[in-house]
Amino acid sequence: MADLSALSSFLVAAVGLGVPLALAALGEMVTERTGVINIGLEGSVIWGALGGALGALAAGPYAGLACGVSTGALAALCFALFAVRLGTDQIITGTAVTIGSLGFTGAVFQSRFGATGIALELPTVAALELPLLSEIPILGPALFNQAAPAYIAYLLAPLLAWLLFRTRWGLAVRAVGESPDAAHAAGVPVIRTRLLATVFGGALAGLAGAHLSLVHTGTFAENMSAGKGFIAIAVVVLGRWSPWGVVAAALFFGAAEALQFALQAWDSELPYPLFLALPYLLSLAALVGWFGRARAPGGLGSPWPTARR
Amino acid sequence: MSPGEIHGLIGENGAGKTTLARILGGLAAPDSGKVRIGGRAVELSGARQARALGVAMVHQHFSLVPSFTGLENIALLDPGAWNRRGAAARGYRERVEARARELRLAVELDQPVGGLGVGARQRIEVLKALMPDPRVLLLDEPTAVLAPQEVDGLLAVLRRVADAGGAVVLVAHKLDEVLAVATRVTVLRRGRRVLTTEVASTSAPQLAEAMVGSKVAGPATSSRWRGAPLEATPVARLAGVHARRDGRQALRGVALEVRRGEIVGIAGVDGNGQRTLAAVLAGVQRPDEGEAELPPEVGWIPQDRTEEGLVGGFTITENVALALHGRSALRSGPWLDWRGVGEAALGVMREMEVQAEGAEMAAGALSGGNQQRVVVGREFLRSGSFLVAESPTRGLDVKAAAAVRARIRELAAGGDEAPGIVLISTDLDEVLELADRTLVLVRGRLVEMAPGDRTHRAIGRAMLGADRAGGDDW
Repeated sequence: MADLSALSSFLVAAVGLGVPLALAALGEMVTERTGVINIGLEGSVIWGALGGALGALAAGPYAGLACGVSTGALAALCFALFAVRLGTDQIITGTAVTIGSLGFTGAVFQSRFGATGIALELPTVAALELPLLSEIPILGPALFNQAAPAYIAYLLAPLLAWLLFRTRWGLAVRAVGESPDAAHAAGVPVIRTRLLATVFGGALAGLAGAHLSLVHTGTFAENMSAGKGFIAIAVVVLGRWSPWGVVAAALFFGAAEALQFALQAWDSELPYPLFLALPYLLSLAALVGWFGRARAPGGLGSPWPTARR
Repeated sequence: MSPGEIHGLIGENGAGKTTLARILGGLAAPDSGKVRIGGRAVELSGARQARALGVAMVHQHFSLVPSFTGLENIALLDPGAWNRRGAAARGYRERVEARARELRLAVELDQPVGGLGVGARQRIEVLKALMPDPRVLLLDEPTAVLAPQEVDGLLAVLRRVADAGGAVVLVAHKLDEVLAVATRVTVLRRGRRVLTTEVASTSAPQLAEAMVGSKVAGPATSSRWRGAPLEATPVARLAGVHARRDGRQALRGVALEVRRGEIVGIAGVDGNGQRTLAAVLAGVQRPDEGEAELPPEVGWIPQDRTEEGLVGGFTITENVALALHGRSALRSGPWLDWRGVGEAALGVMREMEVQAEGAEMAAGALSGGNQQRVVVGREFLRSGSFLVAESPTRGLDVKAAAAVRARIRELAAGGDEAPGIVLISTDLDEVLELADRTLVLVRGRLVEMAPGDRTHRAIGRAMLGADRAGGDDW
């Protein structure tokens, strides 16, 4: 049964790689639902990874996760103050936050630990094996023998689906993203909604970053976010701005990455980077609308109010 | 139109001035009828062709590229600016400067136009239209954005164009400008030509009457005015309100009190502060100065239905929910009573006879008239004690408009529970039909009409900002 165990370990890797993407993408989905596209998400991820590392060293792995959430949220707050509050261009502001964050986190890391080249060892968040569920053949260990952030991601999808489509908060969020003028006219505080949604997205991206350092690797390295924030933005597109779609898309991206590692291990003839490129092609296809109607929120990317009083 | 003529085209908002200008400028095709230029019937299928036939247009909204310099903007559409290989023609700049000197237009050619004032941009716009030396120059409300001195300058330029043998069509809603410069004038009302005459043989009152219609609203047909205030404390009150819109002063010291059960009509030519007044009354814009006391929930039928009234990507039910989500009856904590909202949406659709495939249809897929019905019905539902209605019947057919007016009247007649209603409309007939009191909004100021002054003539005069102290001898 060597094939079966290979499949099982592939699935474990796919879920493990998919979880940070799902977390960051679920947050970014909420942000984009209010009409803000946070290109600075990568910044929140790397700050989350560093915050997680520092927090874990100071007070243990779970404090590290909480620390990662906070630093990720702070990075998003920086972005939001400019892009939402002051109405600066979202793409340019987000790019600045990303590049600035990569630089700053590197500087903080070096000043704290020096550029020794010796890998930092962090206390890691252990996997929690759920009784019964983890005994389901093949899928059980992959889905239900993961660290805490994975379970947060599983719970977030239905929670967000319910919040977005069943509650008045969700209604306000979606209205702000579709048509800020109409939302404003209906008495929804547009700026505040966008600020909070952006910070929420940053918090989840921070958790994703902390997952990278505290679950995945047990260390911190400069630029270790490796584009995860950008991938999460693509995941939102492929998931068509719906919570379940985003989780499915995140797992798919995770599977593609896991497959790439597996192919390297198996010495396959196929050039493995191909599998890294595949999900992006599908994201483009999703944008074109090949998987049914995929429409970005109507006000996505445009500052509000358009003409300042 | 003959060469050397300046023809004023006037009428109230929605009278068809801009449509007529667009047809002549080649931007819109007539459903029937012909345009003749130089005696030949022509079919104008675009601005470029109209230009080739000698018709140049200056638009109501600037059509300049803000980051280009004045010269670049002028050259953009002028075939004379380029030689056969598409390179900049030699001496073009000198030709532009000569033309500007000839017309005595002071233009700044080397600055990006985005940084210039509106008057300077307007001069570039005019020079741009005049560079190919057109036979007909069309200007669609060119003075709307100009200060008085700039208006005088522009009118002088138009006179020089006419003196040089050009024909000028000036679309305007300010009577005095037309009287100052035009040789002949045409008045449009509701898409019909009601008068064409030599300016020398007409007068301001005759034109004003032709614009707004000669029907005089008698108190018996129009007024439910009960004489005494309905209730001592107003549901909404503005005092000394100043507010800006897009950086321009839109309201200057507005005072208004609205009581339950009354309909306050606000007449005025569009662009005199209506949108800002509505936003302040609806509580979505805070005044820069002055006080606004408003009830916590205000029904608001915005003028811009597609932008402010509805979320196009939402279903009808969701759109109803958005406006009513603050209602305590429809929520508990974060929960929304979707069944209650659904019933409310179906109620709106029944009440307003909305043609749709169901309440789950996307609002953006409805026709304009049906979108309007959804907004009106929903806001009727939302207005507890106060309703702001901005041109609530615009875009509706006659029957639907009559139904909306009847509903507004019913709402106001609802006894102690009746809301106070502010009706802001550019349709004077509508205001006179519904309102208990009439005020005129002109240049950001509110002028209350005395009950005896509620005639088309008196209100029309106030709308145009004519001197109220002048008595009846105009």
